[in-house]
Amino acid sequence: MPVADQRTPGARWTPFFFLLPFLFFLLLFWVIPLVGGVQMSLHANGLGQAEYVGFAHYKALANDERYFTALRNSFVYTLASVVVIVPLALWLAHLLRATFRRLRPVLTFALLLPALTPPSVLAVLFLMVFHGRNGLLNQLFLMPLGFEPVNWLKDPDFILSGLVLQTVWRWTGFMTFFILAGMEGIPRVYYEAARLATGSRWRQFWHVTLPQLRSVLLFVAVYLVVDGFSLFSGAFVLLGGSGGTADAGLLTVTYVFQKMRFFEYGTASAISVSLLPLMTLALWATFFLRRRTA
Amino acid sequence: MSDCGKNWRSVLSLLLLGPFLLAVLLPFLWMALGMFKTNTEFFQPLAKAFFPANYDWQNVTELLEGRWVPFWAVLGNSLIVSLGQALGAVALSAMAGYAFARFTFSGKRLLFVLAVAMILVPRQLCAVPLFDWVNELDLSDSLFGVMLPGVVTGLGVVYFTQVFRQVPEEYLQAARICGAAELRVFLTVLPLVWPALLSYGIIHFILAWHEHLIPMLVLTSETKQTLPLALAKLYDVSQRTPQGVQMAASTFAVIPTAVLFALCHRKFKSSLSDMLAH
Repeated sequence: MPVADQRTPGARWTPFFFLLPFLFFLLLFWVIPLVGGVQMSLHANGLGQAEYVGFAHYKALANDERYFTALRNSFVYTLASVVVIVPLALWLAHLLRATFRRLRPVLTFALLLPALTPPSVLAVLFLMVFHGRNGLLNQLFLMPLGFEPVNWLKDPDFILSGLVLQTVWRWTGFMTFFILAGMEGIPRVYYEAARLATGSRWRQFWHVTLPQLRSVLLFVAVYLVVDGFSLFSGAFVLLGGSGGTADAGLLTVTYVFQKMRFFEYGTASAISVSLLPLMTLALWATFFLRRRTA
Repeated sequence: MSDCGKNWRSVLSLLLLGPFLLAVLLPFLWMALGMFKTNTEFFQPLAKAFFPANYDWQNVTELLEGRWVPFWAVLGNSLIVSLGQALGAVALSAMAGYAFARFTFSGKRLLFVLAVAMILVPRQLCAVPLFDWVNELDLSDSLFGVMLPGVVTGLGVVYFTQVFRQVPEEYLQAARICGAAELRVFLTVLPLVWPALLSYGIIHFILAWHEHLIPMLVLTSETKQTLPLALAKLYDVSQRTPQGVQMAASTFAVIPTAVLFALCHRKFKSSLSDMLAH
C-alpha cells in the first residue's frame, strides 16, 4: 500500500521532483501537439494559417457515409479480434503449460515472433498468406479441404475476415505470453485448495485461473481495442491504405490516413477527435472494471 | 496423476500446438528463403518453389554493400533512436511510477488518469502538430527529433506504478532510517526491480524499432532514415528492387528485436508473473 510521507520537511514537493522530467516531456511532446490537433480540426483543410471554420468538419462527417462505414467496420474488426484472440490465447497458454516444460520457452517465443516483426515487414508476409490463388491460406488450408480458393484481398465478403485473421496472427502469440506469465504468477495453494473442493479441471479453470487473470485479460482487451481503433495498424499495411473493394475493409485509421494523404488535415483531425469519447469509455471501463473486480 | 498420463498429456498438447506454430513460422521461413531467390522463382506458386533452386548470396551482399539503401547507416540510426528512446522512457517512467506508487500528493489522480489517457489517444491525432513543433524546436531531420518525443509513455508509467507498489515498505523505511535522501532511497530500490526495468526497456525498444509515422514526418535525408522507412523505400514498386533484396532486408529487420527478446524473455516473464501475482 502506498503510504503518505509527511514526516520529512520538503516532503510536499518530493513527488514532483520525481514527476518533473516526465511532466516536462509530457507537456512538450504530447499535450501541446494534442491541443494543436484539436485546433486543427476546427480549421479549414490545408497547411499553414488556415481559416477558422468551427465545427464544419464535424458536421461534414455526420453526413459522410464513408465515415460511418469506417466506424462500423472498425467496431466489427475490433470486437471480432478481441472475441477470437482472448479465448485462443487462453487456450494456447493452457497448452503451453501442459506440454513439456523444457520446450515451453522456445514454443512461446516462436508464437510471439509476429509481434516482434516491424509492421512493414508484416505487410510482405501477409501478402504471401492472403495472396489470391497462390496464397498460403488457399494452398495449405482451403484447397486441400475442398473449398474454393478465396480472393482474400479483393472479395468484399472476405476482406474484413482477412483483416481479423491478420490481427489474430499478429497478436495472439504475444497475448499468450502475457496470459502465460499471469498463470505462472497464480499461487499454487489456490489450485491445491480448488483440488480439494472439486476434481473438475474445468471448474478449477473457471473459479481460480480466470478470476486471477482478470487484470491480464483487461490489459489484453484494452490493448486490442486501442490497436484496432487508433494505431497505424495491419489494416493499413495489408490494403496499402485503400479501403479495399467497395470499402469493405475501410477502418477509421485507414480513413484518417487517406485524408492526410490529400493534406485534408482538418478532416483527419476531426475523425481522430471523434474517436476520443470512445477511447474515454475504454479508459473508464479500465478503471471501473478494475475496481469492481479488485 | 501418473507419469505416463502426464507424458501423454504433454504430447497431446504439443500436437495441438503444432498447427499454430506452423502457421506462425511458415511465413517467416518463406521470407528468409526468399532472399536467395531470383524474381522469377519468387513469383512461382508456393508448392513449386518454396525452396530456392540454389542458395545465392548476391542479394544479401548487394543489400549490405548499400546498393539500394545506405543499409549500415540506416541500421545504426534505428539502433541509436530505439536505444535512446528506451533508456529515456525507462528513466522517466520509473521516476514517475515511483512518485505515483509511493507518495500522496494533490492532483495525483488527475495526473495518473492523464498518463493512462496517453495510451488511448490516437497517435495520428498528434502527428502533424508534433511535426510542426519539432520543426520549431529546430529538430527536423535530426535523430533527436524522433527520439525525444518517444520518451514519454503512458504505458511505462502505469507499468512502473504497479511495479513500485510491490516493493515492500520496509525497504524504503530502512533506507530512510539510515538518513538517506529521497533520491537515494529511490536509487537503493532500483536494483530490486531491475528485471522490470529491463523488461520495459525491451518493450519500448521494440515499439521504437517499429515506429513509422513520426520518423516518416521528421527524417528527410536518406542517411538519417530509420529501418522502417528504408524498408518502405525498398518495397516501393517504382524502385524496382529485386524481391530477394527486399526479403533480405525484411529478415535483417526482424533479427535485432527477435534476438533481444529471446535473450531476456525469461527474465521478462518472471517479472510479469511477480507483478501480476499482486
